[in-house]
Amino acid sequence: MNSIVVSSRVRLARNYEDLPFRGKITPEQCDECVNRTLDALRDLPDAYTYLPMEGMEENEKKALMESHLISPDLLKNEEGAAVLVRGDEKIAVMMNEEDHLRIQAFCPGDNLPEAARNAFAIEDALQSKLSFAFDSQLGYLTACPTNTGTGMRASVMLHLPMLTLFKQMGKVGQLAAKVGLTIRGIYGEGSEAQGNLYQLSNQVTLGRTEEELTQAVAATARQMAEMESVFRQRAWEKDKVGFEDQVYRSFGLLTNARRMTVKEFMVHWSSLRLGAAMEMLPVSWETCDHLLTAAQPAHVLKAAGAALEEKEADAFRTQIVRRAIQGGN
Amino acid sequence: MLCQECGERQAEVVLTTVINGESTTRHLCRECVKKYKAGDLQSILAAVLSAMAEKKQTPDLTCPRCGETYQEFQKTGMLGCAECYSAFRKELTPLITRVQGRAQHAGRRPPVSEEEQARQSQIETLRFQMEAAVAEENFEEAARLRDALRALTPAKEEKA
Repeated sequence: MNSIVVSSRVRLARNYEDLPFRGKITPEQCDECVNRTLDALRDLPDAYTYLPMEGMEENEKKALMESHLISPDLLKNEEGAAVLVRGDEKIAVMMNEEDHLRIQAFCPGDNLPEAARNAFAIEDALQSKLSFAFDSQLGYLTACPTNTGTGMRASVMLHLPMLTLFKQMGKVGQLAAKVGLTIRGIYGEGSEAQGNLYQLSNQVTLGRTEEELTQAVAATARQMAEMESVFRQRAWEKDKVGFEDQVYRSFGLLTNARRMTVKEFMVHWSSLRLGAAMEMLPVSWETCDHLLTAAQPAHVLKAAGAALEEKEADAFRTQIVRRAIQGGN
Repeated sequence: MLCQECGERQAEVVLTTVINGESTTRHLCRECVKKYKAGDLQSILAAVLSAMAEKKQTPDLTCPRCGETYQEFQKTGMLGCAECYSAFRKELTPLITRVQGRAQHAGRRPPVSEEEQARQSQIETLRFQMEAAVAEENFEEAARLRDALRALTPAKEEKA
């Protein structure tokens, strides 16, 4: 399963009862939102880092986005926009986004229940001291009325290279829509450049319990993983040499190239992950997943610790990739 | 013609959506049309709201707490504060039902604090005593109890 489901994420949208929503909030109230959140979460057992967006370097913001710790929406309003991140980056609480709070929890692999538990633990810590806007009919109230109810988005990231290759994604999309879920590509334009990665998530947030929503996403993700496995097997049986050729070519390029754009990287990354998942390569899928973020543009610049020209960054990317593959982390 | 969603790119696609028998036509660019095809609820809501605005179906409503008008909401798809949900409830409920399919929350609820529990049970006791006083035609006592009850109940709740 984890060879196909890359990661799981749960996001909760919450607003404080007494503060206006994004469109009507004053700068002072934005500060109040941050202060009371930090205050209520002060006693959490783990170490958290508070990162305000104001004054933060552009590349740092981009790196947070590449790690999915913040959303592009958070950067639309610099006023009071901030994120509180747990040391292991598995929990992030965005403040002053579209809603006062966006609580996010991440887990590697197929593990929505744990992501949900972690998100609810943060919610509980806040709710023991503060009141969220809640209505007995409409549930948790959000700035946009399409998020009310649970205010929850449960999503999984899936690696579906063979369903993409065999042009099955249209069918897969219909399958998702039938059960009230949505699937979309991530990481830029074009399915190859996206690394054949897709995000499956719930659309509706009202009228279902959190368990029903996470179970619907998890069950459909497993169904898609099953379909992907079938097509992997089929591709292997149909043309074993062709299959191996694609994987080893990408492995060869990733371990030998001296300059690579992120777009090209994503294409080969997909084959690398496929090869790792099928135990054809001396690389674990954990290494692949670590690389997925580490080789994105802002992470490359961050690792270099200096402003690089595009060509220099493309060269440095190959160093990061080689080190990860050879070092096995 | 510019895209009616982003207002930036050229509109190339005409998208007609039929929701509950009401059709909405929007001119969109290729980027924005993807969002609709993906069934993004926010985009669906925006389509329904802009169709209503075009037909001049704009109720004259203003949220008493934050001052947001229904017209503003039609434009942005965003509400101003929690109170807007009460101020626009009659209009919002069918809209939310339309995009969500359901209109009754079934998930987690905020915990009821000890303080709130104590307040609720005190209210119940006072109500009971007040009704008893009325039954006994002890109106002076009933009025005293009514005032005590008022002090415990926020204006909003009392109306309900």
